Order: sequence, then C-alpha cells, then structure tokens
Amino acid sequence: MANVIVNRVTEFLKRFPPFSFLSKEDLEKVSTAVEIRYLEKGEVLFRQGQDAQPHFFILKEGSIQLTETHQESEEIREYCDEGDVFGVLALLGKRPYLLTAKVVENSLIYAIPVSIFEQMLEQNSRVALYFAAGFASGQVVIRQDLSHGQKARGLFKTESRDHSLLIFSDQSEIKISEKVLTCTGTQSIRTAAQKMTEAQVSSIVIVDDENRPIGIITDKDLRSRVIVKSVSTEVAIKDIMTSMVITRKRTAAFSDLYLTMIKNRLHHLILTEDGTDQTPVSGIISDHDILLSMGNSPAVLIHGLMNTLDLKEMKSIRDRAEQMLRYYLENEVAMDFVASVMTEINDVIIRQASRIAEGRFSKEYPELSEIRYCFLSMGSEGREEQLLRTDQDNALVYEDVREGLKEKTAEYFLKIGTAIVEVLLSCGFASCPGKIMASNPEWVQPLSKWKTYFSQWILTPTQEALLKASIFFDFRPVTGSSGLAEELSMHIYEQIKSREVFLNFLALNALMNPAPLGFFRDFVVEKSGEHRDQFDIKSRAMMPLTDLARLLVLSHGVVGVNNTFKRFERLAELEPTNESLFIQAGKAYEILMRMRALEGLQHDNSGRYISPESLGKLQRQLLKNAFSPISELQEIVRIRFQLDYFRK
Amino acid sequence: MSWWKFWKPKSEKADFVASFLQQSRTPIPGIRAIDQLNFVVLDTETTGLNPAQDFILSFGAIKISQMTIQVSTAVEWYPVSPKNGKATAAIHGLLESKTPVQISEFVPNLLSYLGDSILVGHHLGFDLEMLLKTCKPFGLEDFPNFCVDTMNLAIRLEQGPNADRHQFKPEEYSLDSLCDRYGIQKDDRHTAAGDAFLTAQLLLKLLVVAKNKGIRDFSALSKSW
Repeated sequence: MANVIVNRVTEFLKRFPPFSFLSKEDLEKVSTAVEIRYLEKGEVLFRQGQDAQPHFFILKEGSIQLTETHQESEEIREYCDEGDVFGVLALLGKRPYLLTAKVVENSLIYAIPVSIFEQMLEQNSRVALYFAAGFASGQVVIRQDLSHGQKARGLFKTESRDHSLLIFSDQSEIKISEKVLTCTGTQSIRTAAQKMTEAQVSSIVIVDDENRPIGIITDKDLRSRVIVKSVSTEVAIKDIMTSMVITRKRTAAFSDLYLTMIKNRLHHLILTEDGTDQTPVSGIISDHDILLSMGNSPAVLIHGLMNTLDLKEMKSIRDRAEQMLRYYLENEVAMDFVASVMTEINDVIIRQASRIAEGRFSKEYPELSEIRYCFLSMGSEGREEQLLRTDQDNALVYEDVREGLKEKTAEYFLKIGTAIVEVLLSCGFASCPGKIMASNPEWVQPLSKWKTYFSQWILTPTQEALLKASIFFDFRPVTGSSGLAEELSMHIYEQIKSREVFLNFLALNALMNPAPLGFFRDFVVEKSGEHRDQFDIKSRAMMPLTDLARLLVLSHGVVGVNNTFKRFERLAELEPTNESLFIQAGKAYEILMRMRALEGLQHDNSGRYISPESLGKLQRQLLKNAFSPISELQEIVRIRFQLDYFRK
Repeated sequence: MSWWKFWKPKSEKADFVASFLQQSRTPIPGIRAIDQLNFVVLDTETTGLNPAQDFILSFGAIKISQMTIQVSTAVEWYPVSPKNGKATAAIHGLLESKTPVQISEFVPNLLSYLGDSILVGHHLGFDLEMLLKTCKPFGLEDFPNFCVDTMNLAIRLEQGPNADRHQFKPEEYSLDSLCDRYGIQKDDRHTAAGDAFLTAQLLLKLLVVAKNKGIRDFSALSKSW
C-alpha cells in the first residue's frame, strides 16, 4: 500500500528521466526504497577513486559540483541541479567513481539503491537505453538543465508507448559487421595486430579450428597488456586475450544485444549462430556502430526519402520520422535541433514531390519546362516550426511569361502545384481548411501578380489582408528557384519601408489575439463547441508570440529569419535593452512547441487543444510562466507603435 | 500506595508493553554522535484538540537513521476509535477509503515501530498525549523514549537556549513558517504522514544547523530540555 510519503517521492521522481520511463508499480518500488540525505555545503558525497556506493543519486534541491582531479589540479566537470541524476556508474560497472561530488549549496539528495534499479534495467529497455545513450557520449550527469525549455522537456513528457526502440528496430540500420576478423590462438600478437591494421578494425576475435570464438583482443588490450607490460609480440595471442567471451545470437533483437553490452560494459559483442560460444562466429557489433546508428537516424530517414518516389514508402518514412520526433521530445533533445531535423525531412518530401510532379507533366508541356518556379511553404512550415503534420500552407510562384503563353503556363503550374499538394496529402499532411495551398489557382501565380497581392495587403490593411499577411509573410522557398522568393522578399520590405504605417496595423493585429489567462490567472478555455473547456494553445499562446516576433523583425527590416525563436534570438541581439525579455520569449515559444507536439503525439491530433485539468500542477505553472513574456511584449508593442492613438 | 489507585486501578501491563519499556531501559550514551541516533518522526490527525475527548484518526511516521530519511519505513495507520462513527467519517471524508486498524492491533504495531528511537514531532507533546491515551488500556503509563520537539529545537537554535518566549510570535515557529524558512515544499499538509515527512525534512535541516552550533552528540542535543 503506497502511503502519502511514498506518493510524494514518486511525484518528484516521475518528473525526471529515467524514472519517467518506469511503470507505476516499478516507480513505486523505487520510491519506497529511496533514502533522503541532507548535505551541507562543503561536504563530499563521493570521491574520485572511491568504490561505488550501493546507491545512485538524484538531486532534490541544492547544487552539487562534479570535479575531476588530475595530479594537483582540479577541474570542474559538471554542475548538478534539481532533477539531475548522478553517480550512476555504480549502476553499471560498479567501478570506482571517476569524479568527486562536492556539495556547493546545502543539498537534499534522494539516494536510490542500485539493487532495486538493476531489476528495472533488465526489464525496461527504455531505461537502459536512456543510460546507454548518456554513457556512449561520455555524459557524467543525466542532464536536467534548469533552463525553462529543458525543464519543460522533462515535465511535458508523456506516458508513451514504447517508441524509443523503434528507431533502432530496423536491423538493417545497425551495422553489424558480418565479416569478422579472426585468427587462431597460436598465432603471434604481431600477426594479430598486423591483421587488425590491414583490416582497419579495432578488435580481432580469436577462434578455434571450427571458427568458434575463444577470446577477443582489442586495441586497448594491445596497449595495456602488451606495450605497457613489455610483452614480446612473438607471444601467442591466446596468452593475452580476454578469454571469457560473452556471445549472443546473430538474429537476437537489437535491444537485447544492446542491453548485453550495457550490462557487461562491453565495447564489442560477438555474435554466433546459436548464441553460445559453441557455434561459429557470425558477426560482431561495436559500441561505435551503435552510436553511429543512433546519430544517423535522421540521416537514414532522409537518405531513404531521397531514394524513393514511391508514395507509400515516403509516407512510412514520414511516420518513422514521427517516432523519432517522439523519441527526441521525450529525451530532451534541443528544440532547434529537433525543429531543423523535422523541417529538413518535410522539405525533402516536398522536393521529391516536385520531382514526381515534373516527371508527370513536363512531357505534356515541353515548352514550359524551362520556366523558373518556386514552391513556397507558409505558416509554421515556412517558419521551420512544423513538428507534426498539421495543415499544409503553401503556394507557388513562377516567373512572368510573355502574353501568349500566360494561360498555358498558369494551367501547367496549377497542375504541378496540385500534384505536389497531393503527394503531401498522401504523406499524411492535412489539407488547409483556408485552401491556402498550391492547388488553389489563387495561390499559383506569376511573380508580378504576387507582388500586386503583397502591395495590396500593405496598402489597404483590412482585417482579411492582415490575416493573409500573417500567413504569407512567413514564406520560405523549399524547391525550385529561390531567386523568385528573394525577389518577393525584397518587394515586401521595400513596400513596408515606403508605407510604415502598415506596421502599426500589423501591430494592432498582433494585439488582437485572445489572452491566455483570465482575471484570476486561470486558463481561458473554449466556451462551446467541440473543444469546450479546452485551452487553445495555438491561438492563445503561440500565435501571439509568432505575430509579435514577425512584427518586430519586420520593423527592424530583417530579411530571411523566419523561425520564431530565431527571430527572438535576433531581436535580442538587435535590442540589447530588451535582451532578457526576448530570450525568455524564445524559450517560452520552445516550451509551447514542445508541449503542443507531445500533446498531439499523445492524442494523435494537432495538439492544439489542451485540457488544463489533464496537466499537473507544475505543468500548469510552467505553462502560465510561458505566457508572461506575451503581455510584456504586447506592452512594448503598444507603446512603440503608439497603438493607443491608433485605435479605431 | 495512595487510595485513588484502588479506585482507579492501573491497567494490567500487556507483554508487548513490558518488552517495549525494556528496550528503553539502557540509556543512550551521551557521547553518541548525532548521526548514529535513530529517530522516529511522527504526527497524528485527531478528531479535535482535547485529549480528554478526542481520538486519533490517523498516525503517520517515518524513521531517520544515519541522518538519512528512510522512505521504506514510512507508515500511515488509521486506528479505529470510538468516535469514528458515521458522523466524523462524513466530516473527514477520508476514513472510508483507508483500511482501519483495530486498536488491539495498532498499539502493539506502534510500540514495536517506536522501539527505543528518539521520538520527534512538531508540538510533539500533543501527539504523545493522544497516543498515550490510546495505549493506556494496555498498561503504558508514559513513553520512556527521549523526545525532540522540532518547534523547541528550532527556537533553541534560532533564539538561543535561554530564549524569552515573549520576544517572538509563536506563529513564527509553526510547521508552516518553519517549512517556508527552511525551504521545504509544503505538500500533503494536514495528513499525518505528510506532516511527519515535512517534520522529518525539517529535523534533518535543523540538525545540520545544530551541528554548526556545536551540538554534535546526544548529550549536547539533550541538554537544557
């Protein structure tokens, strides 16, 4: 029976990985075993070189410094903050500590017995992978940065189905070397080393006459057992090899292989036909291969996309990208990285789509295939912020043609645009309810017509024009001739320069977004309809920030920065007096993006509507904190654009 | 032997009470370092504030040894009391959902849990009075354990051992204020286990302050009480 105290501990732990990956029962088991210590500034929790304690630690409050001592000098390696997990080496190798943990500020520490956690490590592959990923990259602390964005990554973690393994599930992605370098035990060290050098590998498996593994030697072994000990290189290799080899089956699940390596701290794992050392060697896998396969995931997907024009396959790759996205979001990968990876994947799909479209229609219109055109992404995709496959917003611009060709050109590019949109639809991108797509003749136009559109919106900023401006001004060339898009950008900035009052209208519009919080600092939820009592995170929190960012960069005449948090970054550089506010706004936007994406992934929708009740107290608080820059920015805009005189 | 003892005879000592008392017979040596002491931090929720009339609704406690709060030792018990009629259950709402323990079971469990540990609580006197009342029918006349009231400890540490209690407001030493002052997040306030957990965290922090004031062993801790 869990009591109040255990529940309290659970509540804390479950906010942070790897505890967030545990099932309720496991988490309760862990929480029950927690020991709480309070250490005073200056105390040392463990020392470099000391044997591992039977606990690892998570910092509840305070601050801890991890330092490394080389001879005389002491180097600070990491600072731990609330929620950081450290001292985890004890979990794996039971090796002495590599660092010293010093208390910098009085700290409350939760100590978790290794024995309890070991079971989970065996049963829960996600937890194991989580640690492994950290170790492979030499991380000493399971980071939980205190910056808001990072914190949010932890907080908004969803209880997901186990997707993390899916990015590894395709065995072909992991390079398992099938050609294993082998030698017999009686061969000399020199011969073995020579073979390794020739094959350019870091290990060699020693086999008996039936090709069954009896030992292994690695580069490191040669260093520590031969060179350091001045052993003659003529000595038989079997005298220095590691003889207790651990083997697994070639066809074992990847997670199993990986776990074996983590558990035994192996750098190389030998694979045999039936998994015992009584059958011939059939492969070898190294931790380097694994790291590569992890780092390669986006590259693998993009590579896959570039090599197919098959719609089904494109869709399935895009689905896999979503699993990768979930993995990234849950593992606190930085948002700018996540967003640019997803944007790149979406862009590759569009480029492939245009190849499909051109292939289909260029034969019909041979005389038009030389005409330059550019496919533009708008809205969130234009801002490189589209994580989920929400509505597509796009358009097509082509160069002006001579009078007689106009009709035919319009017809051709509408077909091209429509074909691209269709490919996107079949890849799972929803269609735009406002019909802002390259399949709508209104938005497939020559450059001159586009210039007229923009001039019109700028000259007569009606409500509708401003709405369009907010979508179209965030355009970004994805495929085709980006020169056309640049010309269009220049046109916009020139127009705005000659008619600066437009910015005041745009500012007014940016302040029209509904407020996120009511008078009593409670969430303003939808009053009726399908999303009754839900909070519209898009229009109440994200749109105000994108609108404000767009307005402010436009007012500085900045070209080519589309991304909202990059816009805020740029603004922070341009206006040092408001630097911290802009940085805060950028972080807030990052939190909102992450939250929406996770919400969407969880419910398999756009993530736009969130039920405030479903959020924890802390999540709610964090969300509310993310709103605070909105009102401050609105105030700045109100004053800067003299909106009080401007009201109609 | 005075006459009223005949009128109101002592309850017969139950065996488990005798063995409980036995444990505390050996005094804690004064030189024992504070980090070697065993504490039981406890709190009770009651039907009211009058020990004569009211009863314990719930008892929550957690142990500290080696200056470490052992979450695995956390307990939360709901003894059945004569007042746990329908009326109070309705007021507190929580009784129905928790498994009640019969007094005959609660008292032996309690005493074996307490052992010879140092008992700690905020306004500990009241909790002990309520507990003692529950234990009396089994022959316990007083808790032999050494006791630490975190309120008094905090006052001693902050105001000095000879503090004039008229110089500050008692509210400044309520559990709430102390939690605020020592940076303890006030979760689960007003549940026995929740308050016990807060008090345990408070004790850890107070003992560190104490250490810096030279209170490092049991004799220093027990002085002037």
